[in-house]
Amino acid sequence: MTGDTTSIQQRIDNMLKKLLSVTALVALTTPAFASGQATWEETMAAAKEEGEVYWFVWYFEDRFRVFAEQFTEETGIVVNIPEGDHIANIDKMRAEAGRETGDIDVLAYGYDQLPNINMELFAPLTMLPEDAGRVSTVAGVDGGDVAVAWWGNQTGIAYDPAKIAEDDLPQTPADFAAFWTANPGQMGFNYENGGSGPSFFLNILRNLSEANFNDGASSPEKLAMLDAGITFFNEHAENYEITTSNSDSLTRLSEGEFTMVPAWEDHMAGLQVNGEIRDELRFYIPEMGMFGGGNAVSIPANAPNPAAASVFIDWLTSPEIQTQFNSQFGTAPMHANADDSAALVSNAMRDRSRPWAAKPFRDTVEERFIEDVIFER
Amino acid sequence: MRQPAPWKLALLLFPGLGLILIFIGAVIYIAVAQSFGYYNLQGESGWTLEFWERTVGRRAYERSVSYSLYVGIVSAVLSVALAYPLALWLRKPFKGSLTVSAILKAPLLIHGIVAAFLFLNVISYHGILNQFLVSLGVFDGPRRLQNDDNAIGLLIMQVWKNMPIALLLLTGAVQAISDDVLRAARDLGAGVWARFRKIIAPLSVSAMQASLIIIFIGALADFTFQTTIGPTNRQSMAQYMDWFKERARWNEAAVVGVTLMVLSLLGSIGLAGAAQLIFRGRRK
Repeated sequence: MTGDTTSIQQRIDNMLKKLLSVTALVALTTPAFASGQATWEETMAAAKEEGEVYWFVWYFEDRFRVFAEQFTEETGIVVNIPEGDHIANIDKMRAEAGRETGDIDVLAYGYDQLPNINMELFAPLTMLPEDAGRVSTVAGVDGGDVAVAWWGNQTGIAYDPAKIAEDDLPQTPADFAAFWTANPGQMGFNYENGGSGPSFFLNILRNLSEANFNDGASSPEKLAMLDAGITFFNEHAENYEITTSNSDSLTRLSEGEFTMVPAWEDHMAGLQVNGEIRDELRFYIPEMGMFGGGNAVSIPANAPNPAAASVFIDWLTSPEIQTQFNSQFGTAPMHANADDSAALVSNAMRDRSRPWAAKPFRDTVEERFIEDVIFER
Repeated sequence: MRQPAPWKLALLLFPGLGLILIFIGAVIYIAVAQSFGYYNLQGESGWTLEFWERTVGRRAYERSVSYSLYVGIVSAVLSVALAYPLALWLRKPFKGSLTVSAILKAPLLIHGIVAAFLFLNVISYHGILNQFLVSLGVFDGPRRLQNDDNAIGLLIMQVWKNMPIALLLLTGAVQAISDDVLRAARDLGAGVWARFRKIIAPLSVSAMQASLIIIFIGALADFTFQTTIGPTNRQSMAQYMDWFKERARWNEAAVVGVTLMVLSLLGSIGLAGAAQLIFRGRRK
């Protein structure tokens, strides 16, 4: 009984010693970290003490949980990835902004959402080690010192090579019109639930007008400049189909219903890796251009584990991990020194990538397209 | 028996009333306030009619309102119309009636999104239905049946999913009608339709009203079926609201949300009133 008491006392003493040492370490490193003056070694030490990081990302959550295990093996920091929706995650961060400590350590979001977010809600990423290869500006949107790119993506056209030869692939609006006329019902695209279809119709509209899609300002006069494009879609309405989402387009292409559909390069590659669509399907960016962009990560100012979040972002944006994203997920790497040889399109074809139409102009164009094209069908 | 003190009554009612007044009330309050410019997540908050003016003037708003009303009303009426004969059939127990009743109510246990994807598999380009009809020679080749422009597929799924709710409510109501009353009507020369119109429907009108209201509200606010199997040239109000929300335009989303709530209330009153007028008004 006495032995048991001694053992318990020893355990309590050991626990207290551990607690004191951890407290001392956190007390030593946190002020320096919080003030942004911590060295990277101090940040690493603080991160290991925090021991975990909550990464809010809205897609491939199951695959990222497995992917992030190598980070845990390297650092001992556990990566928690809750299920979530893109906008819901951003709204959660907004809603928690008034709290001293929120739930989100690392928030992933599309670069096109950045103009909608108050950047003061994020902590500066100045604690990250210098890395000239890291990308902060994507598709014309500057992440400043609060956002870095970790996922590059590109829209284009997925096609079935058994039905159309590479040389016959449509490259311009006129080519697409000719294809629709010759092959009615063989192309479908979505106008909501994903950006691949919107990228397609916005680029047709862009090519058929003089309107500046890189300027977010919108006006009735500027929208009227799209009349030719709206007429183009209405004249050929019988010969193309509207799908319900990015996934619906690709699934129906894979099943043989369509010859071609707009798609995201990374989405398509991911589905092919998982065997959910056929491997034979191919992808290209037409000469008229389609939108490309990427996703950013930021640390909310009230992140519960800011040091671990910094270490995680440093890992996520490293050339090695960006190369892995390219080979495993088909992304366009977001680091200058990463290898992109596993991508679905060649580097030469990436010259056809265009930055996403600027908001709020893009929203008003999509609204007009729905009212004047979709509702007219 | 002595009447309990008012504060005791209030306390006893609080668990139920509190839930409605605090939680649901708070949501309604925020939606209404947001539609008038308050709780603006992106800019200045304050009283304005701008969001109502901007949203109500859009063609997309009018289209989504009329389309959602169409789906809500047709789904409710069709579900109740189909549930009545089944409820009458199951009024008197017979061998196997319990099994039949359980099978008919099975859709209540299947989530809408699961049912929608199963339905898609059946009617897709290379789905079972297309293959079957092609093999019979009815179709020359596969045809596009999904996301039809007239929302036929969506209405089929709405009725499939909601008919059991009406069946559940109507079965109890028609079982409560005495055999003597129905026999008396028959003795007086009332045919099948006259017995339904003058006896059964008026005596079960409360259950009919409850069914119509529950189904109408659900179908009016449909998002799941619409975004998977609904027509692609229409947007339901829930879909339209989501469209604004995806663009962080919360105030305009609130305008659509408030419209949805008002239409739910008015449509329910309208359907219940119509059922009352048509059937109970004839009970003389």
